[in-house]
This record gives sequence, structure tokens and C-alpha cells, in this order.
Amino acid sequence: MNEENFYQFSTLTVLALLAAFYGGTYLLTLLIKKKKENTDAFMVSNHQIGFGLGAASMTATWIWAASFYGAATSGYTYGISGPLHYGLWGALMILFIYPFGRRFRKLAPNAHTLGELIHARHGSSSQLILASSNILGSIISLMVNFTASGALVSVLSPLSFQAGVVIAGVGVLGYTLWSGFRASVLTDFAQLMAMMAVAILIIPAVMFALGGPQTLSDGMSLLTPEQANLFSMDAILNQGAPFFVAVLAYAIGNQTISQRLFAVREDHIKPTFITATIGYGAIVIGLGMIGLMALMTGMEPIDGDMNNLIPQMVSMYLSPVFIGLFFILVIGSLSSTADSDLSAMSAIVMADVYGKNIAKNKPNPTKMLFIGRLTMVIATLIGVILASFSMDILIMLVFVGALWGAIVFPVIASCFWDRVTNTAFTSAVLAGLVMFCVARFELLPMVGVIAGLFELLAAVGGGVVLGLMAFGFGGRRVGLIVGALSAIVLAYFFIGFLQDYTVLMASLMAYGVSTIVCIGVSLMSSNKFDFTQINQKVINYDPAKPATQG
Amino acid sequence: MQTFILALYVLIWPLISLAIFAIIGIATVKDIRIARRSKRELV
Repeated sequence: MNEENFYQFSTLTVLALLAAFYGGTYLLTLLIKKKKENTDAFMVSNHQIGFGLGAASMTATWIWAASFYGAATSGYTYGISGPLHYGLWGALMILFIYPFGRRFRKLAPNAHTLGELIHARHGSSSQLILASSNILGSIISLMVNFTASGALVSVLSPLSFQAGVVIAGVGVLGYTLWSGFRASVLTDFAQLMAMMAVAILIIPAVMFALGGPQTLSDGMSLLTPEQANLFSMDAILNQGAPFFVAVLAYAIGNQTISQRLFAVREDHIKPTFITATIGYGAIVIGLGMIGLMALMTGMEPIDGDMNNLIPQMVSMYLSPVFIGLFFILVIGSLSSTADSDLSAMSAIVMADVYGKNIAKNKPNPTKMLFIGRLTMVIATLIGVILASFSMDILIMLVFVGALWGAIVFPVIASCFWDRVTNTAFTSAVLAGLVMFCVARFELLPMVGVIAGLFELLAAVGGGVVLGLMAFGFGGRRVGLIVGALSAIVLAYFFIGFLQDYTVLMASLMAYGVSTIVCIGVSLMSSNKFDFTQINQKVINYDPAKPATQG
Repeated sequence: MQTFILALYVLIWPLISLAIFAIIGIATVKDIRIARRSKRELV
């Protein structure tokens, strides 16, 4: 990378910025640190988080370093509509899980993880599928966030990439280790406030440094007709639709979100989710505008690397103070997501692995806390090692995305439909995963009847996505009608067309196949599940603590 | 007109962020007061 094109801080300045950030964050956690933490507080803050902290934490967790770079890349590549196709869909997914989240809380008011609910509903195999996908996902997320730190530090200072990775790892672990989720939520608030303040300043600062609105207007001539179109099909098919499908799976499958869902006071779930939706959308779309502005001024990313867009724009047009603020913005975003991942993984190992499968619902709280902290240390080590060696995780990323896509329908159906069985859940996820791999890696030739069949299954997947959204807000009948009609309309458009968009087709297939198998296998059984059993099986682990107002 | 719309399109997002910043800030101050009044921990 040509570092001469970026503003360079001295080693001392960068170390001072990092020390101020991580030192300040650590000092903040001392406000809540107790000599003896309890397990329920460590995992979900005793289910008593208020609206302000809940919304801040949800937003900060959903925003990671890749959000800025991804939104800016989308703006630069697809023009006017690009930032919307990154930020809007990501934001809507927070809103989308709200109605399902209320159901999860109603069924299991004392839960710490979604896996516990699934364990009570189906047993260990389904629970461990969910838990393992979450752990894999969080490891990937940790690695990506530590990598972003390494890249930022190496671009803006003489320090090495590895130094940036290690500092972020140690810094995040340092303030999260003792109080777990409680520390994560409290620091998320401070980090989000800092991120928002910086975003509010940087976006207009870049625009006016470029020459103001007139420069943007003049720059419209540099855009292709597709880039100038707010309803660009190119942007919808290559960015919006695949991202929409991917983040839906992420929202349902990821413990960082469900952990906050179980932690927020039940009467505050709705305002928390709505505020987080708007907050996420505004920050991410806004920062995506920097990519659009780069396109409108004819800037070329250094070395063709889109991740250089925002640092380049900030370095070229803003003063060192703003560059320092941008540095804090990125470190804040990656740290807030990394601490959430550490808290999520510790809760999964504590509750899903130790609490349910080893201690059989009678865990030793002291041992449980030790296991949670040990998990954080090991996860940080793995994240730092993977990031330091810049390991290729594409296959792992694809695999986790597919797994999450395949579990969306079985998880939701298990919480609403009493006939879904453990066999139906497990076989649906496995079938969805296998068919995803066949489509994604083109293990069969995508021509003729096979391509047509896959496109039909993808149309079913599209119908499932839209049907679930309609079901969440409009109920079963509306969901079924919207799902069926969407599948028919999508089938009409997909046949002979979608085979050229392998990523989108494979993602939708994971939804479609898992849904068909889940429904088919469930209908073969006449068993009916009593949902009240879930509340009896999902318990608080510290008997001294009162149960929540569920 | 195009200039105005483009400026609005870029600047509306930091403005919304500012509104959310205020909402979350005020709500958190309320959370802190309630926690103090009821003598329980904030998180």
C-alpha cells in the first residue's frame, strides 16, 4: 500500500489515541465492576437493561468496521442508491427480528441464549447446531474486526499491522473479561455516542471540504446512467438483494443480537429495536455517502482497494483533528462489536455447552463464570492469531452464512408451530446447507432442468423471506399469502435468469430447501409440543436472583 | 434544484443521527435516574 497517500500519525500519537480509548473504556467498566459477579448479570445483565442503554448497545453491536467500508464501497460502486442498499437493509433487519424477539422473550423470559430456548424445544442436537454456528460466526467477526484495527494502524502510523491487531485484542479483552456482557453494554453506550458524534461531524465536513453541494452536482456527469439511477437494477441485484438475504440470517442466527434481546427489559423491546434500526441506518448510510462523494469527485482508491476509500477521503480533505476522530470512529466500531462477540461466545459456552449439556441444568455458578472468562481469553487468542496471519476465511464465511440462512425458518417455526420436531429441525438445516453448497460452488452444471429446479427452490426461498417478514408484523394469514404470492411472482422472474447470480441463488436456496424439508418432516409426525414447557426448562443460574418480569 | 436535492440526500443522515444521539442520550440519563432511585444497578 502506498502510505504516502495517507496522513501519517507519529507512533507516539497513535499509541496515545489507543491508550486514551482503551484506558478510558477500561476506567468506565470500573464503575460497574464487582468483586463477585453473578452468572445472569455476566450473560444478560439480569434482563433489566433500560431503553437508552439497550438501543445504544444494539446499534453499536450491529455497526462494525466493515459497515463503514462496505457502505462506502457500495456508494462508490453503485452510485446514488449504493449506500441505501447497504445501510437500509441492514437496518430493517433489526426491525424484522423485533416481533420474533418478543415471542422468544415470551416463551423463555429467563433465557440467556437462543440456544437454550431451542434446547428446551428440541434437545441438544438442534441447540448445538445453533451454538456452533454462533461460535464460528463470532470468531470470524473477531478476526475481521482485529484485522480492521491492524489495517488502520498500519495505514495511518509507522506501527505494524500485527501491532494494531494485538493492541485491539488486548484492549477489548481487558475491559470485557471481568464483567462480561455488563461491561459490553456500558462501553457500547460510550462508544456509540463517540461514533455518532464523529459521524455527525465528518460527513458534512467532507462534503464542504470537497467544495460543497455544487461540486456534487457537477460530479453527476461522472456517473454512469445506472449509478445515477436511484432504482438501479444493477445495485439491487448485486448489492441490495444478496445483502438483504444475508443480514436476515445474521439477525436471527447471531447471539450478539439475541443476547441483547434477552437483556433489555421486556417493556422496552419495541422502542429499543425501532431506535436501533433508525440509528444504524443513519450512521451507516451517512458514512456510505463518503464513497458516493469519492465517486463524484473522480477519486480512484489507492491500489484499487475499496477499503482505502474512506481513509483516503479523510486524509485528503480533512485536518489532522478529523483524521484522529476518524481513527476513534473505526476503533470504537470494531471494539464494540468485538466485545459483543466475546460476551456472546462466553454466554454460549457457559449456558449452551456447560449449563445445558455438561451440568444438565445444575451448574456451579463460580465454575460457570470461570468457563465464560476462559472462553473470552481463548476466543481472543484465536481471533488475534487468525488476523495476524491474514488467514483466508472465505470458505468459513460462506459456510456460516449458509448455516445461518438454513436455520432461520426452522428456528422461527419451532417457536410458533407446535408440530416442528427435532428431526425436522436438524434435517432441514442439513438439507439447506448441502443444497446451498451445491448451488454456491456449482457442484452440478447450472443448465437446463437442474438450473430451473434450483431457480424454483430459490423462488421458494424468496417467498419464505418475504413471508416471514409479513408474518412477523401481520400474523399467520398475511404471512402465508405474502409468502405464496411472492414465491409465484419470483419464480416467474427467476426462471432462466437467476442462474447468473450464483451467490443470491445459493443464499435463497438455503432458505427454500430448509423450509420445505422442515415443513415436510414436521407434517410426517403427529406430535404436538406444549410451549409452556420452555419457560420451566429455561432457568436463571443464580438462585438468589429474582426471575424477570416475564 | 439538483444541487439542493443532492445536498439534502447527503446531509439528512447526519441530521437523523443527531436526533437519535439526543434520544439515546436523554433515555440513558433517565435510565441512570431510575436506577439510582430504585437503588439497583444500571447494567
